[in-house]
Amino acid sequence: MTTDALALNNTLVEDYLKRFVQEELHTSGFTEACIALSGGLDSSLVFKLAVDALGVDHVHAIFLPYKASSDESRRDAHTMFEFCGIPWQELDISGMADAYLALQPGIDRLRTGNLLARLRMAVIFDQSKKENALVIGTSNKSELLVGYSTWYGDMACALMPLGDLYKTQVRSLAHHLGLPQQIIAKPPSADLWAGQTDEEEIGVSYETLDQILFLLVDQRCSSAEISSQGFDLDLVHRVEHKILTSQFKRVLPPIAKLSQRTVGVDFLYPRDWRK
Amino acid sequence: MTYTVALAQVNPACGDLEYNVKMHVAQVEQACEAGADLIVFPELSLTGYMLKDQTFDVMRPADCPEFARLRELSRHIAICAGFVEEGTDGIPYNSSFFMDAGEICHIHRKMYLPTHGMFEELKFLGRGKELSVFDTRFGRTGIVICRDLFHPLEVSTMAALGVELLLAPSAMPARGFSGEELAIEQTVALALGSASTFLGMFVVYVNRVGFDDGLGFYGGSALSDPVGGITVSAPRFEAVQLLGTVDTAHIARQRYQLPIRREEDLEIVRHALEIRRNS
Repeated sequence: MTTDALALNNTLVEDYLKRFVQEELHTSGFTEACIALSGGLDSSLVFKLAVDALGVDHVHAIFLPYKASSDESRRDAHTMFEFCGIPWQELDISGMADAYLALQPGIDRLRTGNLLARLRMAVIFDQSKKENALVIGTSNKSELLVGYSTWYGDMACALMPLGDLYKTQVRSLAHHLGLPQQIIAKPPSADLWAGQTDEEEIGVSYETLDQILFLLVDQRCSSAEISSQGFDLDLVHRVEHKILTSQFKRVLPPIAKLSQRTVGVDFLYPRDWRK
Repeated sequence: MTYTVALAQVNPACGDLEYNVKMHVAQVEQACEAGADLIVFPELSLTGYMLKDQTFDVMRPADCPEFARLRELSRHIAICAGFVEEGTDGIPYNSSFFMDAGEICHIHRKMYLPTHGMFEELKFLGRGKELSVFDTRFGRTGIVICRDLFHPLEVSTMAALGVELLLAPSAMPARGFSGEELAIEQTVALALGSASTFLGMFVVYVNRVGFDDGLGFYGGSALSDPVGGITVSAPRFEAVQLLGTVDTAHIARQRYQLPIRREEDLEIVRHALEIRRNS
Protein backbone atom coordinates (compact mmCIF):
# COMPACT_ATOMS: atom_id res chain seq x y z
CA MET A 1 0.00 0.00 0.00
CA THR A 2 0.97 3.67 -0.30
CA THR A 3 -0.15 6.79 1.54
CA ASP A 4 -2.63 7.32 -1.33
CA ALA A 5 -4.95 4.95 0.51
CA LEU A 6 -5.20 7.57 3.25
CA ALA A 7 -6.12 10.41 0.87
CA LEU A 8 -9.40 12.13 1.69
CA ASN A 9 -11.73 14.47 -0.13
CA ASN A 10 -10.60 17.51 1.86
CA THR A 11 -13.40 19.73 0.60
CA LEU A 12 -15.93 17.32 2.10
CA VAL A 13 -13.91 16.87 5.28
CA GLU A 14 -13.55 20.62 5.79
CA ASP A 15 -17.28 21.20 5.37
CA TYR A 16 -18.11 18.30 7.71
CA LEU A 17 -15.68 19.31 10.47
CA LYS A 18 -16.77 22.93 10.49
CA ARG A 19 -20.37 21.83 10.89
CA PHE A 20 -19.28 19.41 13.62
CA VAL A 21 -17.57 22.15 15.62
CA GLN A 22 -20.45 24.55 15.18
CA GLU A 23 -23.24 22.12 15.96
CA GLU A 24 -21.65 20.23 18.85
CA LEU A 25 -20.79 23.54 20.50
CA HIS A 26 -24.23 24.99 20.01
CA THR A 27 -26.00 21.80 21.09
CA SER A 28 -24.09 22.06 24.37
CA GLY A 29 -25.39 25.62 24.76
CA PHE A 30 -22.15 27.43 23.90
CA THR A 31 -21.08 29.94 21.27
CA GLU A 32 -17.42 30.34 22.32
CA ALA A 33 -14.42 28.06 21.90
CA CYS A 34 -11.03 28.00 23.66
CA ILE A 35 -7.92 26.52 22.07
CA ALA A 36 -4.42 26.12 23.46
CA LEU A 37 -2.25 27.03 20.48
CA SER A 38 1.24 25.55 20.47
CA GLY A 39 2.40 26.68 17.05
CA GLY A 40 2.25 23.06 15.90
CA LEU A 41 0.24 21.66 13.05
CA ASP A 42 -2.68 20.11 14.96
CA SER A 43 -3.60 23.10 17.08
CA SER A 44 -3.05 25.45 14.13
CA LEU A 45 -5.48 23.45 12.03
CA VAL A 46 -8.06 23.29 14.83
CA PHE A 47 -7.65 27.04 15.30
CA LYS A 48 -8.34 27.70 11.61
CA LEU A 49 -11.31 25.31 11.49
CA ALA A 50 -12.82 26.87 14.61
CA VAL A 51 -12.41 30.41 13.30
CA ASP A 52 -14.00 29.44 9.99
CA ALA A 53 -16.82 27.62 11.77
CA LEU A 54 -17.57 30.10 14.56
CA GLY A 55 -16.14 33.44 13.45
CA VAL A 56 -13.10 35.30 14.82
CA ASP A 57 -15.03 36.84 17.68
CA HIS A 58 -15.93 33.46 19.13
CA VAL A 59 -12.54 31.76 19.24
CA HIS A 60 -10.22 32.34 22.19
CA ALA A 61 -6.79 30.99 21.43
CA ILE A 62 -3.87 31.27 23.80
CA PHE A 63 -0.19 30.46 23.43
CA LEU A 64 1.00 28.80 26.66
CA PRO A 65 4.80 28.64 26.53
CA TYR A 66 7.21 27.23 29.08
CA LYS A 67 10.66 28.77 29.25
CA ALA A 68 12.11 25.84 27.31
CA SER A 69 9.62 26.25 24.46
CA SER A 70 11.38 26.93 21.18
CA ASP A 71 11.50 30.28 19.41
CA GLU A 72 10.12 28.48 16.39
CA SER A 73 6.93 27.58 18.30
CA ARG A 74 6.47 31.20 19.30
CA ARG A 75 7.08 32.40 15.76
CA ASP A 76 4.61 29.88 14.30
CA ALA A 77 1.97 30.65 16.91
CA HIS A 78 2.37 34.33 16.00
CA THR A 79 1.93 33.49 12.36
CA MET A 80 -1.29 31.61 13.10
CA PHE A 81 -2.77 34.46 15.15
CA GLU A 82 -2.06 36.78 12.24
CA PHE A 83 -3.32 34.24 9.71
CA CYS A 84 -6.63 33.91 11.57
CA GLY A 85 -6.90 37.63 12.34
CA ILE A 86 -6.98 37.26 16.12
CA PRO A 87 -4.95 39.43 18.54
CA TRP A 88 -1.97 37.72 20.20
CA GLN A 89 -2.67 36.11 23.56
CA GLU A 90 0.01 34.52 25.68
CA LEU A 91 0.23 33.15 29.18
CA ASP A 92 3.61 31.90 30.33
CA ILE A 93 3.35 28.77 32.49
CA SER A 94 7.02 28.81 33.58
CA GLY A 95 6.26 30.31 37.00
CA MET A 96 3.66 27.75 38.02
CA ALA A 97 5.64 24.88 36.51
CA ASP A 98 8.92 25.85 38.15
CA ALA A 99 7.25 26.25 41.55
CA TYR A 100 6.45 22.56 41.47
CA LEU A 101 9.54 21.38 39.61
CA ALA A 102 11.72 22.96 42.30
CA LEU A 103 10.12 20.53 44.75
CA GLN A 104 10.95 17.53 42.56
CA PRO A 105 14.69 17.29 42.15
CA GLY A 106 15.69 14.70 39.58
CA ILE A 107 12.35 14.71 37.81
CA ASP A 108 12.75 13.13 34.38
CA ARG A 109 11.75 14.47 31.00
CA LEU A 110 8.60 12.36 30.69
CA ARG A 111 7.22 13.50 34.04
CA THR A 112 8.11 17.08 33.21
CA GLY A 113 6.41 16.82 29.85
CA ASN A 114 3.26 15.38 31.40
CA LEU A 115 3.28 18.08 34.07
CA LEU A 116 3.50 20.84 31.46
CA ALA A 117 0.68 19.29 29.43
CA ARG A 118 -1.50 19.11 32.55
CA LEU A 119 -0.70 22.66 33.59
CA ARG A 120 -1.70 23.84 30.13
CA MET A 121 -4.90 21.84 30.55
CA ALA A 122 -5.61 23.53 33.88
CA VAL A 123 -5.02 26.95 32.36
CA ILE A 124 -7.07 26.41 29.21
CA PHE A 125 -10.00 24.99 31.21
CA ASP A 126 -9.88 27.96 33.56
CA GLN A 127 -9.80 30.32 30.60
CA SER A 128 -12.75 28.50 29.07
CA LYS A 129 -14.73 29.18 32.24
CA LYS A 130 -13.77 32.82 32.04
CA GLU A 131 -14.88 33.04 28.42
CA ASN A 132 -17.92 30.78 28.89
CA ALA A 133 -16.39 28.59 26.22
CA LEU A 134 -15.75 24.93 25.48
CA VAL A 135 -12.21 23.65 25.06
CA ILE A 136 -11.56 22.26 21.62
CA GLY A 137 -8.95 19.52 21.65
CA THR A 138 -6.26 19.00 19.07
CA SER A 139 -5.48 15.27 19.30
CA ASN A 140 -5.32 13.32 16.04
CA LYS A 141 -6.06 9.65 15.38
CA SER A 142 -2.40 8.62 15.14
CA GLU A 143 -1.52 9.89 18.59
CA LEU A 144 -4.79 8.70 20.14
CA LEU A 145 -4.09 5.18 18.89
CA VAL A 146 -0.47 4.93 19.97
CA GLY A 147 -1.05 6.93 23.15
CA TYR A 148 1.42 9.67 22.27
CA SER A 149 -0.40 12.24 24.38
CA THR A 150 -0.91 13.07 28.03
CA TRP A 151 -3.93 11.62 29.77
CA TYR A 152 -5.92 14.51 31.26
CA GLY A 153 -3.35 16.81 29.69
CA ASP A 154 -3.55 17.62 25.99
CA MET A 155 -6.20 14.89 25.64
CA ALA A 156 -8.59 16.79 27.93
CA CYS A 157 -11.20 18.70 25.96
CA ALA A 158 -14.88 18.95 25.08
CA LEU A 159 -14.59 18.23 21.35
CA MET A 160 -11.98 16.51 19.19
CA PRO A 161 -12.45 17.56 15.58
CA LEU A 162 -9.25 15.84 14.39
CA GLY A 163 -9.68 12.65 16.43
CA ASP A 164 -10.53 10.52 13.40
CA LEU A 165 -7.81 11.91 11.12
CA TYR A 166 -4.34 10.41 10.91
CA LYS A 167 -1.44 12.84 11.10
CA THR A 168 -0.78 12.59 7.37
CA GLN A 169 -4.46 13.41 6.77
CA VAL A 170 -4.18 16.36 9.15
CA ARG A 171 -1.24 17.60 7.12
CA SER A 172 -3.14 17.25 3.87
CA LEU A 173 -6.19 19.07 5.28
CA ALA A 174 -3.94 21.86 6.58
CA HIS A 175 -2.50 22.21 3.11
CA HIS A 176 -6.02 22.33 1.64
CA LEU A 177 -6.96 25.10 4.06
CA GLY A 178 -3.90 27.11 3.06
CA LEU A 179 -2.11 27.07 6.42
CA PRO A 180 1.35 28.65 6.30
CA GLN A 181 3.87 26.26 4.76
CA GLN A 182 6.36 26.68 7.63
CA ILE A 183 3.79 25.08 9.97
CA ILE A 184 2.86 22.25 7.63
CA ALA A 185 6.45 21.39 6.75
CA LYS A 186 8.16 21.41 10.14
CA PRO A 187 8.80 18.12 11.95
CA PRO A 188 5.99 17.50 14.48
CA SER A 189 7.17 18.07 18.04
CA ALA A 190 5.68 18.20 21.52
CA ASP A 191 8.36 20.86 22.14
CA LEU A 192 9.16 19.69 25.64
CA TRP A 193 12.91 19.96 25.14
CA ALA A 194 15.24 21.29 22.48
CA GLY A 195 15.30 19.22 19.32
CA GLN A 196 12.53 16.83 20.40
CA THR A 197 10.49 15.35 17.55
CA ASP A 198 7.46 13.03 17.67
CA GLU A 199 8.85 10.71 15.04
CA GLU A 200 12.13 10.18 16.89
CA GLU A 201 10.24 9.45 20.10
CA ILE A 202 7.65 7.13 18.57
CA GLY A 203 10.46 5.52 16.57
CA VAL A 204 8.86 5.67 13.14
CA SER A 205 7.81 8.31 10.62
CA TYR A 206 4.16 9.34 10.62
CA GLU A 207 3.94 8.29 7.01
CA THR A 208 4.82 4.71 7.90
CA LEU A 209 2.99 4.73 11.24
CA ASP A 210 -0.24 5.92 9.63
CA GLN A 211 -0.15 3.23 6.96
CA ILE A 212 0.38 0.55 9.59
CA LEU A 213 -2.40 1.98 11.79
CA PHE A 214 -4.72 2.20 8.79
CA LEU A 215 -4.13 -1.46 7.97
CA LEU A 216 -4.38 -2.60 11.61
CA VAL A 217 -7.34 -0.51 12.66
CA ASP A 218 -9.37 0.52 9.63
CA GLN A 219 -8.71 -2.57 7.51
CA ARG A 220 -8.54 -5.04 10.44
CA CYS A 221 -5.46 -6.71 8.92
CA SER A 222 -3.30 -9.11 10.92
CA SER A 223 0.34 -8.23 11.58
CA ALA A 224 1.37 -11.02 9.18
CA GLU A 225 -0.77 -9.53 6.41
CA ILE A 226 0.72 -6.10 7.03
CA SER A 227 4.23 -7.49 7.02
CA SER A 228 3.52 -9.17 3.68
CA GLN A 229 2.87 -5.70 2.29
CA GLY A 230 6.47 -4.74 2.98
CA PHE A 231 6.32 -3.37 6.52
CA ASP A 232 8.83 -4.54 9.11
CA LEU A 233 7.14 -7.15 11.32
CA ASP A 234 8.92 -5.97 14.48
CA LEU A 235 7.73 -2.45 13.81
CA VAL A 236 4.14 -3.65 13.32
CA HIS A 237 4.36 -5.52 16.63
CA ARG A 238 5.69 -2.41 18.35
CA VAL A 239 2.79 -0.37 17.00
CA GLU A 240 0.32 -3.02 18.18
CA HIS A 241 1.96 -2.96 21.58
CA LYS A 242 1.60 0.82 21.79
CA ILE A 243 -2.10 0.55 20.97
CA LEU A 244 -2.62 -2.08 23.66
CA THR A 245 -0.68 -0.34 26.40
CA SER A 246 -2.41 3.00 25.85
CA GLN A 247 -5.96 1.64 25.84
CA PHE A 248 -6.57 3.04 29.34
CA LYS A 249 -6.25 6.55 27.94
CA ARG A 250 -9.09 6.04 25.50
CA VAL A 251 -11.76 4.90 27.95
CA LEU A 252 -13.31 6.16 31.15
CA PRO A 253 -11.92 4.53 34.31
CA PRO A 254 -13.79 1.37 35.28
CA ILE A 255 -16.39 1.77 38.01
CA ALA A 256 -17.05 -1.09 40.42
CA LYS A 257 -20.62 -1.99 39.63
CA LEU A 258 -22.88 -2.36 42.67
CA SER A 259 -26.30 -0.97 41.83
CA GLN A 260 -28.90 -1.70 39.15
CA ARG A 261 -27.81 1.36 37.19
CA THR A 262 -24.18 2.33 37.06
CA VAL A 263 -22.72 5.35 35.32
CA GLY A 264 -21.27 4.30 31.99
CA VAL A 265 -22.51 0.72 32.31
CA ASP A 266 -26.29 0.89 32.29
CA PHE A 267 -26.87 4.57 32.89
CA LEU A 268 -26.38 5.42 29.26
CA TYR A 269 -27.21 8.81 27.85
CA PRO A 270 -25.80 10.65 24.89
CA ARG A 271 -23.41 13.50 25.45
CA ASP A 272 -25.97 15.70 23.66
CA TRP A 273 -28.56 14.87 26.32
CA ARG A 274 -31.41 17.34 26.33
CA LYS A 275 -34.23 16.98 28.80
CA MET B 1 -51.92 9.80 -11.50
CA THR B 2 -49.34 12.33 -10.48
CA TYR B 3 -48.78 13.66 -7.00
CA THR B 4 -46.23 15.74 -5.14
CA VAL B 5 -44.09 14.44 -2.33
CA ALA B 6 -42.13 16.62 0.09
CA LEU B 7 -38.80 15.30 1.35
CA ALA B 8 -38.21 16.84 4.78
CA GLN B 9 -34.45 16.59 5.32
CA VAL B 10 -34.45 17.86 8.90
CA ASN B 11 -32.17 17.97 11.92
CA PRO B 12 -34.08 16.65 14.95
CA ALA B 13 -32.98 17.53 18.47
CA CYS B 14 -31.97 14.38 20.34
CA GLY B 15 -34.53 13.55 23.02
CA ASP B 16 -36.51 16.80 22.68
CA LEU B 17 -40.04 15.77 21.64
CA GLU B 18 -41.53 19.20 22.11
CA TYR B 19 -39.01 20.90 19.84
CA ASN B 20 -39.28 18.17 17.25
CA VAL B 21 -43.09 18.23 17.12
CA LYS B 22 -43.00 22.00 16.54
CA MET B 23 -40.40 21.53 13.82
CA HIS B 24 -42.59 18.86 12.18
CA VAL B 25 -45.65 21.10 12.29
CA ALA B 26 -43.71 23.91 10.61
CA GLN B 27 -42.42 21.50 7.95
CA VAL B 28 -45.88 20.09 7.31
CA GLU B 29 -47.35 23.58 6.97
CA GLN B 30 -44.60 24.52 4.54
CA ALA B 31 -45.27 21.40 2.47
CA CYS B 32 -49.03 22.11 2.47
CA GLU B 33 -48.45 25.63 1.23
CA ALA B 34 -46.24 24.26 -1.53
CA GLY B 35 -49.06 21.95 -2.59
CA ALA B 36 -47.51 18.64 -1.55
CA ASP B 37 -49.77 15.60 -1.14
CA LEU B 38 -47.39 13.65 1.07
CA ILE B 39 -44.49 14.59 3.34
CA VAL B 40 -41.84 12.11 4.47
CA PHE B 41 -39.56 12.67 7.47
CA PRO B 42 -36.38 10.74 8.40
CA GLU B 43 -36.03 7.84 10.80
CA LEU B 44 -36.77 8.81 14.44
CA SER B 45 -37.48 12.33 13.25
CA LEU B 46 -39.63 13.11 16.29
CA THR B 47 -37.07 11.93 18.83
CA GLY B 48 -33.53 12.07 17.44
CA TYR B 49 -31.38 9.02 16.84
CA MET B 50 -28.68 8.53 19.49
CA LEU B 51 -31.16 8.23 22.33
CA LYS B 52 -29.64 5.43 24.42
CA ASP B 53 -31.58 5.40 27.72
CA GLN B 54 -33.65 8.39 26.61
CA THR B 55 -35.50 5.80 24.53
CA PHE B 56 -37.53 5.03 27.64
CA ASP B 57 -38.40 8.73 28.16
CA VAL B 58 -39.54 9.51 24.63
CA MET B 59 -41.44 6.36 23.69
CA ARG B 60 -45.09 7.05 22.89
CA PRO B 61 -47.99 5.31 21.24
CA ALA B 62 -48.72 6.84 17.82
CA ASP B 63 -52.05 8.19 19.09
CA CYS B 64 -50.43 10.13 21.98
CA PRO B 65 -51.57 13.72 22.64
CA GLU B 66 -48.18 15.11 21.54
CA PHE B 67 -48.81 13.93 17.98
CA ALA B 68 -52.47 15.08 17.86
CA ARG B 69 -51.60 18.25 15.96
CA LEU B 70 -49.82 16.24 13.27
CA ARG B 71 -52.81 13.95 13.01
CA GLU B 72 -55.00 17.00 12.59
CA LEU B 73 -52.72 18.33 9.86
CA SER B 74 -52.89 15.00 8.06
CA ARG B 75 -56.40 16.00 6.97
CA HIS B 76 -54.58 18.18 4.44
CA ILE B 77 -51.51 16.11 3.63
CA ALA B 78 -50.35 12.55 4.26
CA ILE B 79 -47.50 12.39 6.79
CA CYS B 80 -44.85 9.75 7.34
CA ALA B 81 -42.69 10.50 10.41
CA GLY B 82 -40.39 8.55 12.69
CA PHE B 83 -40.76 8.02 16.44
CA VAL B 84 -40.06 5.59 19.25
CA GLU B 85 -43.29 3.65 19.43
CA GLU B 86 -44.41 2.39 22.81
CA GLY B 87 -45.97 -0.91 21.83
CA THR B 88 -48.98 -2.26 23.70
CA ASP B 89 -46.53 -4.98 24.75
CA GLY B 90 -44.54 -2.28 26.58
CA ILE B 91 -41.63 -2.60 24.17
CA PRO B 92 -40.11 0.43 22.42
CA TYR B 93 -39.86 0.11 18.63
CA ASN B 94 -38.06 2.17 16.02
CA SER B 95 -41.18 3.02 14.02
CA SER B 96 -42.61 5.34 11.39
CA PHE B 97 -46.29 6.15 11.22
CA PHE B 98 -48.28 6.96 8.12
CA MET B 99 -51.12 9.40 8.80
CA ASP B 100 -53.69 10.49 6.27
CA ALA B 101 -57.17 12.05 6.43
CA GLY B 102 -56.75 12.56 10.16
CA GLU B 103 -56.13 8.87 10.82
CA ILE B 104 -53.13 6.73 11.69
CA CYS B 105 -53.27 4.41 8.68
CA HIS B 106 -50.20 2.33 9.33
CA ILE B 107 -47.16 1.92 11.58
CA HIS B 108 -43.99 0.22 10.40
CA ARG B 109 -41.61 -1.19 12.98
CA LYS B 110 -38.02 -1.35 11.76
CA MET B 111 -37.14 -4.99 11.18
CA TYR B 112 -33.38 -4.97 10.86
CA LEU B 113 -31.89 -2.97 13.71
CA PRO B 114 -28.16 -2.54 13.23
CA THR B 115 -26.22 -3.50 16.34
CA HIS B 116 -22.56 -3.47 15.48
CA GLY B 117 -19.76 -0.92 15.44
CA MET B 118 -21.30 2.50 15.99
CA PHE B 119 -24.85 1.11 16.05
CA GLU B 120 -26.53 -0.25 19.17
CA GLU B 121 -30.22 -0.29 18.31
CA LEU B 122 -31.10 -3.75 19.63
CA LYS B 123 -29.71 -2.75 23.00
CA PHE B 124 -32.61 -0.36 23.44
CA LEU B 125 -35.29 -1.24 20.90
CA GLY B 126 -37.47 -4.19 19.91
CA ARG B 127 -37.39 -5.80 16.51
CA GLY B 128 -40.30 -5.36 14.08
CA LYS B 129 -41.61 -8.63 12.70
CA GLU B 130 -43.85 -7.62 9.83
CA LEU B 131 -43.33 -6.29 6.36
CA SER B 132 -45.16 -3.02 5.82
CA VAL B 133 -47.38 -3.28 2.80
CA PHE B 134 -50.54 -1.19 2.89
CA ASP B 135 -52.84 0.60 0.51
CA THR B 136 -53.03 4.37 0.42
CA ARG B 137 -54.45 6.89 -2.03
CA PHE B 138 -50.99 6.81 -3.65
CA GLY B 139 -51.23 3.13 -4.46
CA ARG B 140 -49.75 0.16 -2.63
CA THR B 141 -47.21 1.60 -0.23
CA GLY B 142 -44.38 0.16 1.81
CA ILE B 143 -42.08 1.55 4.47
CA VAL B 144 -38.51 0.48 5.11
CA ILE B 145 -36.54 2.24 7.83
CA CYS B 146 -32.86 2.85 7.13
CA ARG B 147 -31.09 -0.54 7.36
CA ASP B 148 -34.26 -2.27 6.11
CA LEU B 149 -33.51 -0.70 2.73
CA PHE B 150 -30.25 -2.65 2.53
CA HIS B 151 -32.01 -6.01 2.83
CA PRO B 152 -32.80 -7.00 -0.77
CA LEU B 153 -35.02 -9.85 0.37
CA GLU B 154 -37.27 -7.47 2.29
CA VAL B 155 -37.49 -4.96 -0.55
CA SER B 156 -37.97 -7.63 -3.24
CA THR B 157 -40.70 -9.31 -1.25
CA MET B 158 -42.47 -6.00 -0.84
CA ALA B 159 -42.30 -5.48 -4.60
CA ALA B 160 -43.67 -8.96 -5.13
CA LEU B 161 -46.53 -8.05 -2.82
CA GLY B 162 -47.34 -5.13 -5.07
CA VAL B 163 -45.61 -2.14 -3.49
CA GLU B 164 -45.31 0.76 -5.90
CA LEU B 165 -44.29 3.52 -3.52
CA LEU B 166 -41.52 2.71 -1.08
CA LEU B 167 -40.89 5.19 1.72
CA ALA B 168 -37.39 4.93 3.15
CA PRO B 169 -36.94 7.19 6.18
CA SER B 170 -33.33 7.02 7.36
CA ALA B 171 -30.66 8.20 9.78
CA MET B 172 -27.52 7.20 7.89
CA PRO B 173 -24.30 8.53 9.40
CA ALA B 174 -21.64 9.90 7.06
CA ARG B 175 -18.51 7.76 6.64
CA GLY B 176 -15.99 7.09 3.96
CA PHE B 177 -14.62 10.50 2.97
CA SER B 178 -12.04 9.49 0.40
CA GLY B 179 -13.97 9.80 -2.85
CA GLU B 180 -15.93 12.38 -4.79
CA GLU B 181 -18.94 11.30 -2.77
CA LEU B 182 -19.21 9.56 0.59
CA ALA B 183 -18.88 5.77 0.60
CA ILE B 184 -22.31 5.51 2.25
CA GLU B 185 -23.86 7.57 -0.56
CA GLN B 186 -22.66 5.02 -3.09
CA THR B 187 -24.16 2.21 -1.01
CA VAL B 188 -27.50 3.99 -0.80
CA ALA B 189 -27.44 4.74 -4.53
CA LEU B 190 -27.10 1.01 -5.19
CA ALA B 191 -30.14 0.24 -3.04
CA LEU B 192 -32.25 3.00 -4.60
CA GLY B 193 -31.24 2.08 -8.14
CA SER B 194 -31.94 -1.57 -7.51
CA ALA B 195 -35.43 -0.93 -6.08
CA SER B 196 -36.44 1.48 -8.85
CA THR B 197 -34.75 -0.13 -11.83
CA PHE B 198 -35.30 -3.82 -11.10
CA LEU B 199 -38.49 -3.67 -9.09
CA GLY B 200 -40.16 -0.66 -10.72
CA MET B 201 -40.90 1.20 -7.50
CA PHE B 202 -40.73 4.87 -6.63
CA VAL B 203 -38.49 5.24 -3.61
CA VAL B 204 -38.66 8.27 -1.33
CA TYR B 205 -35.41 8.20 0.62
CA VAL B 206 -35.30 10.84 3.34
CA ASN B 207 -32.16 11.01 5.43
CA ARG B 208 -31.58 13.43 8.28
CA VAL B 209 -28.77 15.92 8.82
CA GLY B 210 -26.95 17.20 11.91
CA PHE B 211 -24.86 15.52 14.58
CA ASP B 212 -25.80 13.23 17.46
CA ASP B 213 -22.72 12.70 19.65
CA GLY B 214 -20.23 13.05 16.82
CA LEU B 215 -22.22 10.93 14.36
CA GLY B 216 -22.89 13.25 11.44
CA PHE B 217 -25.91 12.42 9.29
CA TYR B 218 -25.29 13.38 5.69
CA GLY B 219 -28.73 14.12 4.22
CA GLY B 220 -28.63 13.43 0.49
CA SER B 221 -32.35 12.59 0.43
CA ALA B 222 -33.61 11.48 -2.95
CA LEU B 223 -36.60 10.55 -5.02
CA SER B 224 -35.82 7.54 -7.17
CA ASP B 225 -38.04 7.17 -10.23
CA PRO B 226 -38.29 3.83 -12.12
CA VAL B 227 -38.00 5.66 -15.41
CA GLY B 228 -36.17 8.88 -14.64
CA GLY B 229 -33.62 7.68 -12.09
CA ILE B 230 -32.88 10.10 -9.27
CA THR B 231 -35.20 13.04 -9.99
CA VAL B 232 -34.76 14.84 -6.68
CA SER B 233 -31.46 14.99 -4.87
CA ALA B 234 -31.02 16.95 -1.67
CA PRO B 235 -27.66 18.46 -0.75
CA ARG B 236 -25.30 16.96 1.80
CA PHE B 237 -25.43 18.18 5.39
CA GLU B 238 -28.02 20.97 4.81
CA ALA B 239 -31.48 20.97 6.39
CA VAL B 240 -33.84 21.47 3.48
CA GLN B 241 -37.29 20.56 2.22
CA LEU B 242 -37.54 19.54 -1.43
CA LEU B 243 -40.50 18.61 -3.60
CA GLY B 244 -40.68 15.84 -6.15
CA THR B 245 -43.30 14.59 -8.55
CA VAL B 246 -44.42 11.00 -8.79
CA ASP B 247 -46.02 9.94 -12.06
CA THR B 248 -47.43 6.50 -11.38
CA ALA B 249 -47.51 5.75 -15.12
CA HIS B 250 -43.75 5.22 -14.83
CA ILE B 251 -44.28 2.10 -12.74
CA ALA B 252 -46.09 0.12 -15.42
CA ARG B 253 -43.80 1.49 -18.11
CA GLN B 254 -40.66 0.29 -16.33
CA ARG B 255 -42.21 -3.03 -15.32
CA TYR B 256 -43.11 -3.67 -18.97
CA GLN B 257 -39.69 -2.62 -20.19
CA LEU B 258 -37.82 -4.73 -17.63
CA PRO B 259 -40.40 -7.20 -16.31
CA ILE B 260 -38.58 -8.45 -13.23
CA ARG B 261 -41.73 -7.99 -11.19
CA ARG B 262 -43.74 -10.05 -13.69
CA GLU B 263 -41.13 -12.80 -13.68
CA GLU B 264 -40.84 -12.90 -9.90
CA ASP B 265 -42.03 -16.11 -8.30
CA LEU B 266 -41.95 -16.24 -4.53
CA GLU B 267 -42.94 -19.89 -4.76
CA ILE B 268 -39.35 -20.65 -5.75
CA VAL B 269 -38.11 -19.10 -2.54
CA ARG B 270 -40.79 -20.83 -0.46
CA HIS B 271 -39.97 -24.16 -2.07
CA ALA B 272 -36.23 -23.72 -1.48
CA LEU B 273 -36.80 -22.87 2.17
CA GLU B 274 -39.09 -25.86 2.63
CA ILE B 275 -36.59 -28.26 1.12
CA ARG B 276 -33.89 -26.88 3.36
CA ARG B 277 -36.12 -27.13 6.41
CA ASN B 278 -36.97 -30.75 5.64
CA SER B 279 -33.41 -31.84 4.84
